[in-house]
Amino acid sequence: MPLQFSLQQQSFLPSEERTQIERAQQDPRYFAPLYERYHDAIFRYVYRRVDEEEQAYDITSSVFVKALQSLHKYEYRGLPFGAWLFRIAKSELYQSFRDQKAQRTVSIDKVVLKQVIDEWTEDYTEEDKARLLVALKDLKEQQLQLIEMRFFEKRSFKEIGDICGLSENNAKVKTFRAVLKLKEFFHQKE
Amino acid sequence: MFKILLDRKEPSMEAVRKHQNFQEILAAYNYQQKVNNPWRYWYYPVLTVCLLLLV
Repeated sequence: MPLQFSLQQQSFLPSEERTQIERAQQDPRYFAPLYERYHDAIFRYVYRRVDEEEQAYDITSSVFVKALQSLHKYEYRGLPFGAWLFRIAKSELYQSFRDQKAQRTVSIDKVVLKQVIDEWTEDYTEEDKARLLVALKDLKEQQLQLIEMRFFEKRSFKEIGDICGLSENNAKVKTFRAVLKLKEFFHQKE
Repeated sequence: MFKILLDRKEPSMEAVRKHQNFQEILAAYNYQQKVNNPWRYWYYPVLTVCLLLLV
């Protein structure tokens, strides 16, 4: 899989990270290790959702500038620091879409697309692929986000919940409903 | 409406690192802090008045 930025895959101890956050809150120059740890993940999250690479760089920059500006407000209350950054990224992305600076894009690997279709039909055809792509366009934005994170980016429900501001259980339920909706649209197109 | 891109090639980690670095982010943040500081317009006039009063 090209995407390897799961929040749960971070091997750093929260206490180490907490110390780094506290130091960065005193002096922004100490934000460097946190930047190094999360920059690639945030960039890829943004890149997969926008049309142009340059826009992805611009949005990623503004994510980190915003993070530095709001860092004094960050308090560890169970929400991982990475998820806090992803929330800023999400908000910056949607601001760009609203300002029409960036085009909303969904990046999908054909292999993943096939895996999704394989669960619903016996024989995968090119027609099924086209149908699924059309069905995706019928989803609401939040449903699309959930499908995108769960299936195309292979995130856990905990991560999805943290990024979307939902409980793990709620993320699971909403994703399940989104899948049902997608399946319904997929079969409607037959 | 969104656009679907299949099997899109992603830039390598090295390319991403080369393109952006923390110093640029820090510089942008410092600039923003300077611009957002409400005292920036008042600092020099107030300083001048204080100096004049002292003299």
